[in-house]
Amino acid sequence: MKIIGIITAILVFISLYLVFGYARVEGTMLEVQKIFYYHVSAALTVFVAFGVNCVFSIKYLIQRKPKDDLLAVAAAELGLVFCTIALLSGPIWARYAWNTWWNWEARLTSTLVLWLMYVGYFILRSALEGDKRRLYSAVLGIIAYLDVPIVYYAVDIWHGGLHPDRGTKWNLETTMRQTWMVALLALIMLFVLLLIVRYRMKKAEARYEIIRQKYLSEVS
Amino acid sequence: MKIAVFVSFLVVLGLFIFATQVPVTLTEDEVAKAVTEASSESEAPVDEDLLAQAVQLSVEKLEKAQSTRLKYLVSAYLVIWLVFILYVLHLERKQQELDKRLAQLEQESDQ
Repeated sequence: MKIIGIITAILVFISLYLVFGYARVEGTMLEVQKIFYYHVSAALTVFVAFGVNCVFSIKYLIQRKPKDDLLAVAAAELGLVFCTIALLSGPIWARYAWNTWWNWEARLTSTLVLWLMYVGYFILRSALEGDKRRLYSAVLGIIAYLDVPIVYYAVDIWHGGLHPDRGTKWNLETTMRQTWMVALLALIMLFVLLLIVRYRMKKAEARYEIIRQKYLSEVS
Repeated sequence: MKIAVFVSFLVVLGLFIFATQVPVTLTEDEVAKAVTEASSESEAPVDEDLLAQAVQLSVEKLEKAQSTRLKYLVSAYLVIWLVFILYVLHLERKQQELDKRLAQLEQESDQ
């Protein structure tokens, strides 16, 4: 984990240097375009995080191992963090580019729905206990993931939104594309690092609960 | 990891302070030189004072526009790192709570 931590820290610093000091200033949005590197990377990391949640939710439903539930919930929590970042950095871009903080266009709305569904996931978890909690949250995790392709293809399905076409980000100028790739890698590494940290913490909490229950039953 | 996030935050904060101070680098001498050159090249008579005033106004407008753009840019990055920092602090607090509960359980079992 230490190695992952060091690699992540180096990547984050390199990406920040590339964003502010290397990537060419885009012609229309000028310096504000640089928000793109972390905003889009955070949005793509959301897909990865909720994807991990979905995979381990399915695995839990098949094998019923509490370990899979812990990984799923850790990934969902991080997905929510990255989704919050995308939802907060987006309006700053929007205010400059579109002269509005928020617009109810397809991609923005579907992203907000995605965020709300995973907030619901945690509300559900806090309302239930034991196996019921694991089972129902796994089902909700899988259902909520169905919104991810809707978010991704929103600009194709509902034309006329403010977001550019999906292909635009792949046609960037070389320095801009390199910067974006490093920023994306940095955020994915940060996700992996935080996922390990959160999973270990969840595991320790679960172990504590088992020991506590054992101790209480011995005492009584 | 916490240190790395904090250092990154300081880097972005530093960039914010630096970026909002960056002027469009044109000195008065450069403006005067450009005005003289432009008026010498011009075939029509040019009011140098008026031209210098127009250039100065343009530079001020550019400075203001650039400063606004940089504020948007750095605000976005500050928000991004603020979310990360708050999340890491939340994890730290959770870990402390767990350590405390473990210590309490150990103490109870010793008694």
